[in-house]
Amino acid sequence: MTTTSPTCATSPWTRRRKLLAGFCAPLALAILPVAITAQEVDTSEWVCEFCPFESGHGGNYAVGAASVSEDSAYIGDGTGYDKEGVYVAVSGDGAYVRDAWRTRWSLEDIGLDARSVGVEGTRAGTFDYRFAYREIPRRQFNTTSTIFAETAGDLSLPPSWIRAPATAGFAALGASLSPRNIGSDRSIYDIGGSFLPGTNWELSAAFRRQEQDGNRILGASYFTNAALLPVRIDYATDEVDVGVRYVNESLTLSLGWHLSEFDNGQSGFGWQHPFTTSAGAESAELAAPPDNRFQQLTFSAGYALPVWNAYASFSAATGEIEQTEAFLAYTRNTTLTTSVLPAVSLSGDVDTSRLAFAFTASPTRKARLRLTYRYDERDNNSAQYLWNRVIAESFVSGDLESNLPYSFERSSLKASAEYQLFDTLRISAGYDRNDNDRDFQEVAEQSEDSGWGRIRWRPLQTLELDLRGGSAKRDIDRYNEAVAVAFGQNPLLRKYNLAYRYRQFGELTLSYSPTKLPVSVVVNSLYADDRYTKSLLGMTSGEDVRLDVDVNWLLSERTSFYVNAGLEDVSSMQAGSGISGAPDWRAAHGDKFSTVGAGVSIRAIADKVDLALDYTLSRGETEIALDTLASGVDEFPELEAESDYLRAQLSYRRSERLDVTFDLRYQRFRSEDWTLEGVAPATIPVVLTLGAKPYSPEVFIFVIGFTYRVGDT
Amino acid sequence: MKARIGKLVVVALLAVVPITIPAQSPGDDEPRYSRKGADTCLSCHADAVTMAIFSTAHAVPADSRSPFGRGQLQCEACHGPGDAHSGRVRRGEERPPLIYFNDSDNTAVDVENGMCSNCHSGDMGIGWHAGPHGANDVGCADCHQSHTRLDAVQQTSTQADVCADCHQLQRNETRKAFAHPIAEEKLACTDCHGMHDDIVASELARATLNDTCYRCHAEKRGPYLWEHAPVAEDCGLCHAAHGSNHPGMLTRRAPLMCQGCHSQDGHPAVAYDTGGLASSTPSRYLLAQGCMNCHSQVHGSNHPSGSKLTR
Repeated sequence: MTTTSPTCATSPWTRRRKLLAGFCAPLALAILPVAITAQEVDTSEWVCEFCPFESGHGGNYAVGAASVSEDSAYIGDGTGYDKEGVYVAVSGDGAYVRDAWRTRWSLEDIGLDARSVGVEGTRAGTFDYRFAYREIPRRQFNTTSTIFAETAGDLSLPPSWIRAPATAGFAALGASLSPRNIGSDRSIYDIGGSFLPGTNWELSAAFRRQEQDGNRILGASYFTNAALLPVRIDYATDEVDVGVRYVNESLTLSLGWHLSEFDNGQSGFGWQHPFTTSAGAESAELAAPPDNRFQQLTFSAGYALPVWNAYASFSAATGEIEQTEAFLAYTRNTTLTTSVLPAVSLSGDVDTSRLAFAFTASPTRKARLRLTYRYDERDNNSAQYLWNRVIAESFVSGDLESNLPYSFERSSLKASAEYQLFDTLRISAGYDRNDNDRDFQEVAEQSEDSGWGRIRWRPLQTLELDLRGGSAKRDIDRYNEAVAVAFGQNPLLRKYNLAYRYRQFGELTLSYSPTKLPVSVVVNSLYADDRYTKSLLGMTSGEDVRLDVDVNWLLSERTSFYVNAGLEDVSSMQAGSGISGAPDWRAAHGDKFSTVGAGVSIRAIADKVDLALDYTLSRGETEIALDTLASGVDEFPELEAESDYLRAQLSYRRSERLDVTFDLRYQRFRSEDWTLEGVAPATIPVVLTLGAKPYSPEVFIFVIGFTYRVGDT
Repeated sequence: MKARIGKLVVVALLAVVPITIPAQSPGDDEPRYSRKGADTCLSCHADAVTMAIFSTAHAVPADSRSPFGRGQLQCEACHGPGDAHSGRVRRGEERPPLIYFNDSDNTAVDVENGMCSNCHSGDMGIGWHAGPHGANDVGCADCHQSHTRLDAVQQTSTQADVCADCHQLQRNETRKAFAHPIAEEKLACTDCHGMHDDIVASELARATLNDTCYRCHAEKRGPYLWEHAPVAEDCGLCHAAHGSNHPGMLTRRAPLMCQGCHSQDGHPAVAYDTGGLASSTPSRYLLAQGCMNCHSQVHGSNHPSGSKLTR
């Protein structure tokens, strides 16, 4: 006979008993006979003869072909369907189970630029492991072209190039342009596992490598001229995490070490300037993002206190960022006599410290308290040097400048209390305090006090209303205008992240699920209003309004329907000073966004067909209006982006083992963007661009696939 | 002294007694387990959803920690004692409920979560209790499905749909023209967010927002020789991580965005109007990359001549 007393792994009643017994013995003695109802369970007859336990190999494997109707970087971004044509891909997932050994794997879209492989396994109760590989394509533009060719790491001009002071004089431009797509591929490799040396211990280790190859757009200037370059990306980031964790019923302890190392395959980008330059300034160099290394040691603890159902958690982390990339020269212009570099590298050294504490408790059945505190410091210990830069490869500045290793300390304290007034009503209130201290900036000390209240009201089982609102005041010790002036800033400017701000905010969520209908309706809304009342220049106000309605309807056991609609209106006002020093222009920037999604899913039509239809319409608009003392109101054309996306998926169960799937996707994207519209490579007299065009694809993707099931699991 | 020792002995005994008290005989009010375990349950609940548990790690007889491990309580390990539920019920009387894990039942969230955390307490981050999910009484089963071979919230391709059940406003943002490839099902919310609040008071995959962004954008970490102050402090000052109407997921368009902080005499302070559009007098400050046509190293420059972030 097997007798099982529900152990920690099986029953909350016993877990509570142990907790109480360990920490509150006298009280537990009084309560246990009533509250704890553990019983010995005779499981000898629990043979589970109806249980179809998994064993052996099983899986679904699919092969499919996709037809894409036109080239489009926008559609291909993230999906890999960036070119017209036919794609073939293999997908699938499977498992092998034998006793305590389980291995699962998955393949997704092998054959496409966006693909993934995952394998994970375990020997139950002993160890587990995982391996994953993901490829994510970034496709930015396929309408771009350039005159530059890469030679030995530098971007060089065509041999026949004729320099000119403005793009109109580029006589060889037309003959020199060749198409160059902009984008990259990110490969992510993950490998890791954990080992359980005992009931309470876990050792874990993980390694992750990301590689990014491709190109991106980077502006390269010469005085007031610039050329947009398609510069190479050759990044690799390695991450290592090693940790040990101890968990028992009331205590969790963990210690972890994290390493992240970034390696850039190049230290700089050389290029030849296409515009007329001074002698010796024909070529120049941009610095590439430097190699860097970050290490962090973290200790965390969580403890369930024996009273008030309280829980306390704490974590502390200390880390260091290092950067020792060798500097490039001040200039490539050999005709200039430059100062000696004060250092061969920055020897950048940043110490990071994080501290966090949280405490929650329910002193009574109806009350809850919550307190969190966090501290975060970035202490940049990198040395400061004086630099005598070369301006536009043409002359030595002569004004020595010091680099500024920015540091900050910030802390956040949040305290809140909740009380259940009635069975249907909970109220809560909270206070948040944020402090932010910075070096080398206009504001040294900044604090924000925020108070909020919340009501959660459930007048009916089917209806719940959640309302939260409050206000926050961000204040500063002083805005140091001397620092601002040293940066050349207008002393009236108040940077929006450093300025005094008064914010009012509110959120409302309404959920309704009628008992007699399998429908759920959720309404979400958010409002925030920011006033920078002490700012004459810079951001003066901001407003954020969002609304969403979601309806889900289970029409039958096999048929479900959803519709959702969202609106967003984010606007801001800012003031500037172009001439007088005092505010002489104002700008309004308004982002609107609306989206509608709807879909229906019907399963097992005639026990053979599954059908799903999904449609999403999204539309973004940006309105910018400028009001100047000189010219009055000037409205920019709207920036627009509109997307229609329709997907129809049909799966036909040909046999017990074979499914045939049809997947039709239609996506139309239309954008109006005056930053790109009509901007050919030579349109801006002083900037040679890549001629990127606004996106306007209309693409059909049709996929047919065959899925075969193997095994019985 | 003796009295003090005596008191200590009494307290120690009191502390030990509850542990050594023999399990009580089931009383009338005490829930009882069924007589045949899962076989009892499956005689009524042999539907596809229920049976899918046997394709999961919860149903591994060789794993003594699994609910279906040898000697364990099978269905009742999670759903609680089922004797009353599986027994006879008088006509018109409702069958006594078990612990259910879905929206339509009345099982309290802390009871649901308590059942899960009996085995998964280590999976629950130490920040859970004080984090937004814990504070809002989110149940494990609000996100996780245990009766399915592949739990949707643990799959990159389907996770965002699960999260969107509550985070509709964030879902809408991912539909904007410029967003991480979440709608394309190539990134999951957990690539950036720590759903279980593994890090106290963070809600992110790493301790800070910037540390989280650096997981994939480590080239921005620096420290650079010439730092751009807001970059090291908070990526969110310029970028909208869930999606934006603007390229690069910027919160606003250049040059206005840059002019929110830069007012130096000369070109940073000027109001650029529609006269600078391509159809009029094309302006280097408005078109193509805007300010970044020249100041392209906005995340910082490591070039000795790069103090203006142009090198």
